Amino acid sequence: MRFIDYIILALRNIRRQKLRSALTIFAVVIGATSVTIMLAAVFSLKGFMTKQFEANGVFQQVAVSQQTDITWDNRSSGGGCNDCTKLTDDLAGKISARPHVIGVVRQTNMWQFQALIYGDQKLRTQQMIAYDANGVIPSQVIAGRDIAASDKTGVLTISADYADKLGFKHKYDELIGKQVGLYAAEYYTGVGSDPIKQAEEQQAWFNTHPGADGRDYKSPPVTITGKIVGITGAEADRYTIRVPLEWARQMQLNQRYEVSPAAQEAAQAYCRAHPSPNCKSQGTPQLVVSDELAKNGYSNFIVKVDKASNAAAVAKDIRTTYKVGAADAQTEIKQQLSVFNILGLVLGGIGGIALVVAAVGVVNTMVMAILERTREIGVMRAVGARRSTVSRLFTFEAALLGFLGGLIGLAVGYGAILAANPFVNHQLQSNNVQSSNIIILPAWLAIGVVALTTVIGLLAGLYPARRAAKLDPVEALHYE
Amino acid sequence: MALIELKKVTKTYRLGGEVLNALDSVNLSVQAGEFIAITGPSGSGKSTLANIIGGLDRPTEGSVVIDGNDLSRVTDRRLSDYRNQHIGFVFQSFNLQASQTALENVMLPLLFARMKPKERLARAAECLEAVGLGDRMKHRPSQLSGGQRQRVAIARALATKPSIIIADEPTGNLDSARGEEIMHVLKDLHKQGMTLLVITHDMSIAHQAGSIIQIKDGHLTGRN
Repeated sequence: MRFIDYIILALRNIRRQKLRSALTIFAVVIGATSVTIMLAAVFSLKGFMTKQFEANGVFQQVAVSQQTDITWDNRSSGGGCNDCTKLTDDLAGKISARPHVIGVVRQTNMWQFQALIYGDQKLRTQQMIAYDANGVIPSQVIAGRDIAASDKTGVLTISADYADKLGFKHKYDELIGKQVGLYAAEYYTGVGSDPIKQAEEQQAWFNTHPGADGRDYKSPPVTITGKIVGITGAEADRYTIRVPLEWARQMQLNQRYEVSPAAQEAAQAYCRAHPSPNCKSQGTPQLVVSDELAKNGYSNFIVKVDKASNAAAVAKDIRTTYKVGAADAQTEIKQQLSVFNILGLVLGGIGGIALVVAAVGVVNTMVMAILERTREIGVMRAVGARRSTVSRLFTFEAALLGFLGGLIGLAVGYGAILAANPFVNHQLQSNNVQSSNIIILPAWLAIGVVALTTVIGLLAGLYPARRAAKLDPVEALHYE
Repeated sequence: MALIELKKVTKTYRLGGEVLNALDSVNLSVQAGEFIAITGPSGSGKSTLANIIGGLDRPTEGSVVIDGNDLSRVTDRRLSDYRNQHIGFVFQSFNLQASQTALENVMLPLLFARMKPKERLARAAECLEAVGLGDRMKHRPSQLSGGQRQRVAIARALATKPSIIIADEPTGNLDSARGEEIMHVLKDLHKQGMTLLVITHDMSIAHQAGSIIQIKDGHLTGRN
């Protein structure tokens, strides 16, 4: 029998038992639809996230920190350590001269400020960072502008979630140019603080609390002001305030008004030479300023390499050459994204169970069909159908049930995806993500689903087909 | 050389623990173009004989040589092709497919002969014309009388131009007038040179044959 005749005959037989065929196909449709939707959702999400990372250049980045156990995920955490190689300007210069490196960003994290003040609102600050504005780390600016290399002090950007809390949701532009305060509760010694006044107040406190423990003293709070120049998208930088690197350096200055050991020595020597009850042997306090950032180094560097494929090698080069920690994003993120593969397997497996149930339905339908068509099989054998012809005919019929179910399931699944995308778009827009219609049905999945259901139908048809082929034609012809 | 040559053909069935000899060492020789009636009481083995000649069944022992080919030891594939090309079966209960038209029923053997659709249509139409149903081609079996249905069955048997027609009680389900009509069609085929085996226990039909083979308890008891 010719291939096309098998299909025509199988189709005719499926049509003959309309209700039963429809119910059997329906079961396949449920399985195929769920497999389609689940896998499309999982792999679209994975593709979307991979694309996001590729687009913002993360795969071309290597994070460097003092700790040698750095991973990409915890690149910003951890302070300095005494024996570690410090991330100094000098080291940044050296790293930028390494092969494949096209840029180095020095980054520092700050913890001096506890609150962001706007009007009478006081928001808790969570992350405050500063890094080189050389374009290596792209910011997603949704209003105003990014921190520029020419910015020195007095400007900052805040992430949209702060702006939302301040009541500027969806009118971020109105916040641009507004003055905000950065509030440090105590022990702030950076720019904007008044070390002389602080020293005086501390002295006054000790005078009124004779014999008190110095740790009980609380220095007065300090608020410094800055102008908002931009609002950044929230999904990458949650509750983040960014300031220019120069300003960050000034914020981290340690300004003290104290008597230097030399001045102390000189004062005591003077009193010894000129003994008098009124001689001040304490020396005169002076302003001492130390650049803590230069002394302790940066929190971390982000190194940009020429190609994503070189990132791992550059990380290794930096690790071995400078004895610092270095981790590329790509290896880690891709490993994390592989979770989606497992998720796909699990969810696909759930749809697969529906398909197994459908396969049982196909077997049942085909066994019933054989009972009903026993005489017909006998006639076919009598007029020249081989065993293999009968077997193939029933296998085709079962495969066709699977194929039709898969095709309809695919269409339903695709419809569901089309219907779901507007909701997802809405969700993305409310999170300020500039992407739409992210759930897609890749061709391999579409073909794969139909192929899978066809193969399942075919496999389910094998046993009934074998039974049909083994029927004795003489008995079949006399079957009542 | 004989067209059909059976030598010591035995067919044994096992029913429970009992061994039943449907055919017991049967020798038979049929020349091409003969019209033979096979008669005998129910359970005598006449249908078994017809099925073995028709390649629907295989002998337990002995050899079946049709047109020089030994059928007793061929593969299912060869045997099926033999049925398709050399044998036309006509059954008592017609065995037509109810959901298909007369034309589609007649085309069925041609499907297994791997004939192209156009040729299949032409040949099936030709066969229906030959049995006088040229105007009933698109009718389903339910829209045809018993005699017409059996003529469709004969047309189906003729479709692949076989050399032997085996008709098992072809008039069994018909009244005598319709039965006569069917016998007329079959005799016409015989006149055109077809070898015809008709199984019947109706002696009035058997007497229309060139020779009658009588069978009882699996043995040939006479031939005239």
